Amino acid sequence: MLTQLQVKGLMFDPSNNAYIVVLRDDEHSDMLPIWVGKSEAGAISMALENVTPPRPMTHDFMKSLLDAYDAKVISVVITDLSEHTYFAKIHLMYEDSEYTVDARPSDALAIALRSNAPVFANDSVITKQSSDELQQWLENLKPEDFGKLDS
Amino acid sequence: MSNIDLPKEQDLVEYRVDRLLEEATTDTRIVVLSRQGDSLDTFPIWVGAPEGNAIKLALDTMITPRPMSHDLIKSFAEHLNITIQRVVIADVKNSTYYATVYVSNKGVERTIDARPSDAISLALRAPCPIYITHDVLKRRSTTNLDAWLAKLESKHIGTPEVQET
Repeated sequence: MLTQLQVKGLMFDPSNNAYIVVLRDDEHSDMLPIWVGKSEAGAISMALENVTPPRPMTHDFMKSLLDAYDAKVISVVITDLSEHTYFAKIHLMYEDSEYTVDARPSDALAIALRSNAPVFANDSVITKQSSDELQQWLENLKPEDFGKLDS
Repeated sequence: MSNIDLPKEQDLVEYRVDRLLEEATTDTRIVVLSRQGDSLDTFPIWVGAPEGNAIKLALDTMITPRPMSHDLIKSFAEHLNITIQRVVIADVKNSTYYATVYVSNKGVERTIDARPSDAISLALRAPCPIYITHDVLKRRSTTNLDAWLAKLESKHIGTPEVQET
């Protein structure tokens, strides 16, 4: 089973010196935190904030390549998060055929946000009961804390 | 190679990625391109640390457990039968280099605007040749790599002129 999720924002995790992408479903019953590196967080943050950089960033280039041949990102699916290895699939539509491409979740999210493509996760990877620590973080966050990165 | 694209083939000089220099005190890397053929020339391009790392991974032919961003771009191209033909450092404005990536699918050629770091990362993975136009070579930044290296070796490391890609 797949659940559709929205990318809600990014948080800095000082204990791991990494960033957490927070995804939630529309009913806010499911939450999926994904830890990513700084430059990966930057790629997601720019798309979330609709920032147009002076030069195309890597995922803007990626989108341009797909646009050049009218290939569309139809959806991305976070398929597995185990230990330090995260898996996602990007579903492409090109000339009436569908293609499935293996990717890291950070790349999948960065391209999904630029393509307005829906994001899904396998139910097996969604944290049904979010960790208390993460729940607390979320509750204490102010709106202005979201989507801001010290670059 | 086809002649239909601008800039024309005779305007292009082929370079290869020679090495990547790390500037430990700043968040920048220097990609050193070297001219192919009998003429000795090096062409440095300053890039950010993550961009430099993406180039280093390809230069060292490192296999990462999961596909990195430029591996994904290559994978997209492979799935859709798009050939990455060549990349060209085609312009320089305000000390920023501009690259163009030439792609082809079933005879349909397209050009895509890119930062040199993305273009070079992709060229190493495709693999495909890297060119610099005569025009850019003429108007290249005056930063002298040898002078910079000399400073580095004598441990008087100055802040290099950062060229955002």
